[in-house]
Amino acid sequence: MDTLVYVALAIMVCVSLVLFWWFNSRAERRARQLLRAVLTEEQYRHLFQRGYLDIPSPSDPQRFYRVPRAHGRVHLIENEILQASLCLQPLDWVPEADFVVIHKLMIEADEQTYLLKANRIVPVNASRRIV
Amino acid sequence: MGMLRIISRRGDDRRLWNDQDALAGDAEAIAALREVERIFAQERARGATAFRVEAGKPVERLGQFDPQATQIIMVPRVVGG
Repeated sequence: MDTLVYVALAIMVCVSLVLFWWFNSRAERRARQLLRAVLTEEQYRHLFQRGYLDIPSPSDPQRFYRVPRAHGRVHLIENEILQASLCLQPLDWVPEADFVVIHKLMIEADEQTYLLKANRIVPVNASRRIV
Repeated sequence: MGMLRIISRRGDDRRLWNDQDALAGDAEAIAALREVERIFAQERARGATAFRVEAGKPVERLGQFDPQATQIIMVPRVVGG
């Protein structure tokens, strides 16, 4: 009897893991499709080669935002100098590729709100060139 | 033809509508358009932000649903981390 219970539990765990993997991989695939649709060919290649995407500020030609491909802080860079690290995230969990889409849309369409909402961490050594 | 894409834990949820058919009085197209408008309003009420994203044009934030947009992407509510 005990053996049957253990086998049933093992099957349930395996099925749960497979379902979890399937759900996540489907979500990630759809997120990558959206990312591909939002970025240009060059931006998409740049993102996967270097691991980040540089988004120019719509309001200041000397400023750009470096958005990492994986979860992490966005760097605000002005005149090639890191000014701040910005942290902004959706309340609900979303696939990794969607983070880049969210940051890109918000920066390009509503930079002021983006800056107001993001938590800002100013580096101690703000004169460090990072480009 | 327009597409509403709502970023979610599933990647994105997509809804299509056809503005021209709805204007021509096609009942199915009108129902689809109303459903997309309802979803748009519901997501906005939850704190989502909508953007019009069209090839060759700057991204634009949308306060209201625009049936003439070809692609609208809705971003869930975001907070400072």
